[in-house]
Amino acid sequence: MKEYSQDLSSLIDNEFDDQEIIDAVLEDVELQQQFSRYQLIGDVLREESDGLDLRVDVTDSVMAAIAGEMQDDNVVPLATPEKQDTNVVPFMKRFGQYAIAASVAGVVVVSSLIVNQDDATDASSTPVLNTVPFGGAAAPVSLQATPAQTENDIKERNERLEALMKDHQLQLQTKP
Amino acid sequence: MNERELDLQLIQRIQNGEQQAFALLVRKYQTRVANILTRYVRSSGDIPDVSQEVFIKVYKSLPNFRGDSAFYTWLFRITVNTAKNYLTSQSRRPPASDIDAEEADSYDGSGALKDEDNPESILHSQEVKQVILKVIGSLPDELKSAITLRELEGMSYDEIAQIENCPIGTVRSRIFRAREAIDKQLKPLLEN
Repeated sequence: MKEYSQDLSSLIDNEFDDQEIIDAVLEDVELQQQFSRYQLIGDVLREESDGLDLRVDVTDSVMAAIAGEMQDDNVVPLATPEKQDTNVVPFMKRFGQYAIAASVAGVVVVSSLIVNQDDATDASSTPVLNTVPFGGAAAPVSLQATPAQTENDIKERNERLEALMKDHQLQLQTKP
Repeated sequence: MNERELDLQLIQRIQNGEQQAFALLVRKYQTRVANILTRYVRSSGDIPDVSQEVFIKVYKSLPNFRGDSAFYTWLFRITVNTAKNYLTSQSRRPPASDIDAEEADSYDGSGALKDEDNPESILHSQEVKQVILKVIGSLPDELKSAITLRELEGMSYDEIAQIENCPIGTVRSRIFRAREAIDKQLKPLLEN
């Protein structure tokens, strides 16, 4: 094993060119402690350590605290509830979905009414007071409800409605 | 390579995920940080805690360090700010006379807090200092001269080589042998 002590001494004095010594120190705890003692010799000679407790070395406690904080940082985001202001977006998103669904349903109803409108209705015979609702024919008001549509019509309408709903769901899913 | 370049190299390694490089920076600067803190922190027992806080702040702020100033200047500012925050948290006023970052290197905290409330610590520190000075006193003149010029005068190996009229490699070797001799006596003292 290579002896790094002299290189370590040069490292303390910033008088080295070989990066190998840095790699060696970072991997070897004994070299790190030796680095601390070499550093201390200079600190004592320059009287920078006067009045300090030289038995205290905060390196280990600092590194442990940093490791602990890094762990906390990794955990905290998972446990943090959603920010308050982000609640606006989900509400609008949900409300928007209902609005789209309602408008699709409205279009379906209106279009089915148009389809079922009596072909006999002629524009030329439109009375002065038009009692036919805008967008379609009204079913006669009666206690006896007669089916205005055949089973085929209902089936066709349901299929169209289903297709529209599927299309709507697909749009919701693909929406970013 | 000068001190600034070495610090930058270590910082780059930290930013690349080599966390252990930060431990080296702590080992390098902890005495200087503690020395600055004695100017502000009245209780010597609190200095390790505040030192730890300083280094944690430094670590967290490292991504913002752009290297415009020397790392030590930046560290110095964080140390002073942390010390002032500590005083505020202790409901004490910071000292009236501040020290500038430029003076940080030459700052001698001799007028500030000393460890008078901890005789055991004083005794230990004195013992460490005595051992170092005693070993240096017993060294051959060329080793004594080399370590003194380097540590007290802050000379580079090249400057020492010119004064001592010897190759740089010899200076390198002399300084190392001096440190090795001191370390042999210092290590058991610090471990005990």
